[in-house]
Amino acid sequence: MGKYVVKRLAYMLLVLVILSFVMFFVYSLIPFDRAVAEADTFKQGMKNNPNGPQLYQERIEQLRRELGTDQNVFVRYLGWLGLGPINGKYNGIFQGNWGYSYEYDRPVTQVLAEPMKNTVFINIFATIFGLGITIPLGILCATKRGSRLDTGVQVATIVGYSIPVFIISIVFIWLFAIKLGWFPVSGMKTPGSNFTGIEELKDRLYYMALPLIVMTFSSLGGMTRYTRAAMSEALSLDCIRTARAKGLRERVVVYSHAFRNALIPIITMVIGWFTGIFYGSIVVENIFGLNGVGRIYIMSLNKKDFEVVLLLQMFYVVIGLVGNLVVDLAYGLADPRVRVNK
Amino acid sequence: MKKFLALLLAAVMCLGLLAGCGPKDSGESTPPADNSTAPSEAPASQEVFENKVILGDTTELGGDFRFPGWGGSSAGASDQAIWFLTAGYAAMESDQGGAYQWNQTVVKDHSEKDNDDGSRTYTVTIKEGLKFSDGSPITAKNYLAEVMAFSSAVCVQASRSGMSGQSLVGFSDYNKYTGPDSAEGAKEFSGVRLLDEYTYELTVAPEQVSYFSYTTPALYPYPLALPLGDGVDIMDDGNGCYLTENFYEKNGDEYVKAQEMLDNRYDVTKFPFSGPYVISEWDSGTSQATLTINPEYQGNFEGQKPSIETIVYTRIISETQLAQLQSGGVDVLANITGGEETKAALAIVDGEKFNETHYQRAGYGKLEFECDFGPTMFQEVRQAVAYLLNRNEFCQTFTGGYGVVVDGPYSPDFSMWQAVQDEIDLIDYSYSPDTAIKVLEEGGWIYNSKGEPYVAGATGVDAVRYKKLTAEEANAVTGDGTEGVNKTYESVANTDGVTYKTVEINGEYYMPLAINWFGTDENTVTDMLTTSLANSADVAAAGMVVRSTRGDFNMLLGNIYRDSSMGYAGTPLYGLYNLATGWNSAVYDYSWNWSLDPAYFDYSSNKVYDEYDKAFPYDLNGEKLTYEEAMEASGGKLGMDYLSMAMVYNAVTEDEYNQWWMGYIERWNELMPDIPLYSNYYYDVYNAKIENFHTSPFFNQNRAIIYANVKGF
Repeated sequence: MGKYVVKRLAYMLLVLVILSFVMFFVYSLIPFDRAVAEADTFKQGMKNNPNGPQLYQERIEQLRRELGTDQNVFVRYLGWLGLGPINGKYNGIFQGNWGYSYEYDRPVTQVLAEPMKNTVFINIFATIFGLGITIPLGILCATKRGSRLDTGVQVATIVGYSIPVFIISIVFIWLFAIKLGWFPVSGMKTPGSNFTGIEELKDRLYYMALPLIVMTFSSLGGMTRYTRAAMSEALSLDCIRTARAKGLRERVVVYSHAFRNALIPIITMVIGWFTGIFYGSIVVENIFGLNGVGRIYIMSLNKKDFEVVLLLQMFYVVIGLVGNLVVDLAYGLADPRVRVNK
Repeated sequence: MKKFLALLLAAVMCLGLLAGCGPKDSGESTPPADNSTAPSEAPASQEVFENKVILGDTTELGGDFRFPGWGGSSAGASDQAIWFLTAGYAAMESDQGGAYQWNQTVVKDHSEKDNDDGSRTYTVTIKEGLKFSDGSPITAKNYLAEVMAFSSAVCVQASRSGMSGQSLVGFSDYNKYTGPDSAEGAKEFSGVRLLDEYTYELTVAPEQVSYFSYTTPALYPYPLALPLGDGVDIMDDGNGCYLTENFYEKNGDEYVKAQEMLDNRYDVTKFPFSGPYVISEWDSGTSQATLTINPEYQGNFEGQKPSIETIVYTRIISETQLAQLQSGGVDVLANITGGEETKAALAIVDGEKFNETHYQRAGYGKLEFECDFGPTMFQEVRQAVAYLLNRNEFCQTFTGGYGVVVDGPYSPDFSMWQAVQDEIDLIDYSYSPDTAIKVLEEGGWIYNSKGEPYVAGATGVDAVRYKKLTAEEANAVTGDGTEGVNKTYESVANTDGVTYKTVEINGEYYMPLAINWFGTDENTVTDMLTTSLANSADVAAAGMVVRSTRGDFNMLLGNIYRDSSMGYAGTPLYGLYNLATGWNSAVYDYSWNWSLDPAYFDYSSNKVYDEYDKAFPYDLNGEKLTYEEAMEASGGKLGMDYLSMAMVYNAVTEDEYNQWWMGYIERWNELMPDIPLYSNYYYDVYNAKIENFHTSPFFNQNRAIIYANVKGF
């Protein structure tokens, strides 16, 4: 088991290095010159200076030197990692510099800190609510397969599954915020409030409630159907028939025997959900005005703020690789037949 | 099914209970002092409002409130709004019309002197008794802090340009000075003087003196340590201001104060404010700022003080902004434009709960031509495009009737326009396909691809007109020095399989009337232009084709800048783009933008090299002619470069400036380097609890709010 984990970690490191270069290389191909963008205001300011055009060109060259964009992609990559000098300095990831956002004009870690907190905060609730509803519902549908309840849920989930999240968001805002007035339309706190402690948490949850409902609602379809399918398959196994024949109570049959057999596919999804708490929802965050990473991610892409995007993607690669490892290990816990020991 | 619905409802209710939600509380706001609540809406007869207004913008607050966008590519609109509300006491401030006015609250005395060497000195004495928000006094040193810091070598090391005072005498030497051991440069900034505790003097270098130099003394006061770092002082021994030696203190190769400058930029608590409001809370997590009145603030340029006690600045979501306004999540929606959006916003304006104020935007959406190659280098082609576009219909459709069409680069709110509007003589480019054809024929677009007369209705490569190029036109070199473009010019994005290209017949070149247009993705204007221009029957009937390429804005800029690092392929392809332009103030300075000097290529957005300028060029060091003198000397043919330069460098009085401006607009209108498509109206819809709220193109909600009050206050 330990050997297996070490082997996987080494493999993850290799994947990480390769992917980091591939991503860095891909972004370097996008035709964009940060130095020119940064120097634009300077250009306008220098217009009436007799040496304006020359100063402008010098400024661009200076910025290119500082940014390293006067070097080839390999040199820049090493500089980004901190394994090579940019403008005579080693100042990359290995030196603790995780990148710089030129749009926000501050280190990437500072730009991402608050949005990441907000995203994790809302996703934790969404995941708990989502799993709390979908797994029991999926099991219920599987045990009452073909019933009116099952048919109703099947129809509802396929409808919910098919509606894009932005439609659900708009409809829910109209219904719950505008018509019923239960929740605020958008935002993250009462404007101008300075609540502390439990009042602050209540205020925060009040503003998070509607996006949370939307996120939970949007996720119901997929997971419910997935759980139902896995449970249906498990309930048709010979061992379940044997268990029932032995006179075990239905609850024991379903939750101790069938559910454990259905766990393998469900584990993949559940762990995926938990690793997904770091992923922002571009649509929900934008419509509800949440300061989350999904919004930062798309904004940074649009504004060519690639160091933000790169760091986020690298983070997601790490999360994905770790998630895969956890899934593999969890399989073994759920089913001894697939336990890894080498 | 019932169980499913019950489960869902239970989850919703759990959340509601957990959050303590309920419709009655949802729109309530809470004053910072005691967390108590007060209703924001009640029956009209008993309405009692909190003295608080929630403003917002669709951009997010970034905490960059002290020097928004300093040294970078752009400032966030929301951060800039906070700066507007918290920075004040500038010696000059722009008024509702965008013109700079001396600040009567601040300035005790001011004078201007033209020196023998051609430089110009501005002397400003500020009033005693002005204070920052913490009660500390404001003196002349505070006004000089920013220019001294941001012109220094220390600022350059902070990765900023350090060019703040570049127009002033002695800048170059001061900028080079690196500290007591400096081998070059000068400690003193000779163009910046501290005459006494309340008087400063700025001298503009002779080569940079212009009509708009009068805005030079429009400095803002800052606490010294904010831009300069702790313990640094500004001194003047008679040769110009200088900074105490600790400003240049180093740790290894790094200036200690460079990092301090960068850190102070994001401060909201350490340093006091000079504007009408102070930041009492900044929550980066929720991206919300709360501002309260600065008790020390004595007023703006008109002596106006704010009445609204608290301003909360938050983010507006464009998709749900009206619902935000109606639910009390925000009190003002500014700059609403576009037909559907405006109609929806005006539908809630009833005079009781919501009011509106509107103005015509100081700017317009436009078609921008590249004028140094291809068909669009010819004036008649640009004019023909203008005649072929039904701009009134386009404007009506795009703005929903909330917009107008202009015929030149101006805003009707400009004082210059108002001064000359009865006198100015502009070509009317109303929709007229017949006039377009006439103009093209007069311009020599009368051939087909074989050099024979053009026949309307022909197909294939002969569906468009051709023009026989003169040798000079065929061999024309583009502004960035590319040769032979016209000889190899051809249409791109040829989705119908027909490629129109310059043909050589008996040693002579014939250029096709095929315009390559680049429009940005996900842009309504691009979509509309596809119908009204690229696929227009009138355009085809006139013997013209417009070929459409779409891409992102960066690619568009790369092609305009002709910068290979931004996606430019190395040869100019596109002669037409759709963009928008605008003005934030009435400082209208287009000098150098039409220069014939290749060094100024980066400043030329249209690459117009006016024939009139070649015949009668502007000499910056020559005699400064009046408009009448120049018109007479040029035979009535003043070019864009001459007019734009003389407007700024020859004009002394406002009347002179207006005269040059009129000439400039007329020549522009004739050359048509851009086609203005629409100038939309902006509507600001706001909660009727706000009174006396009047915005203008140059006086947005962040400026106008200090004139406003909440009912009952």
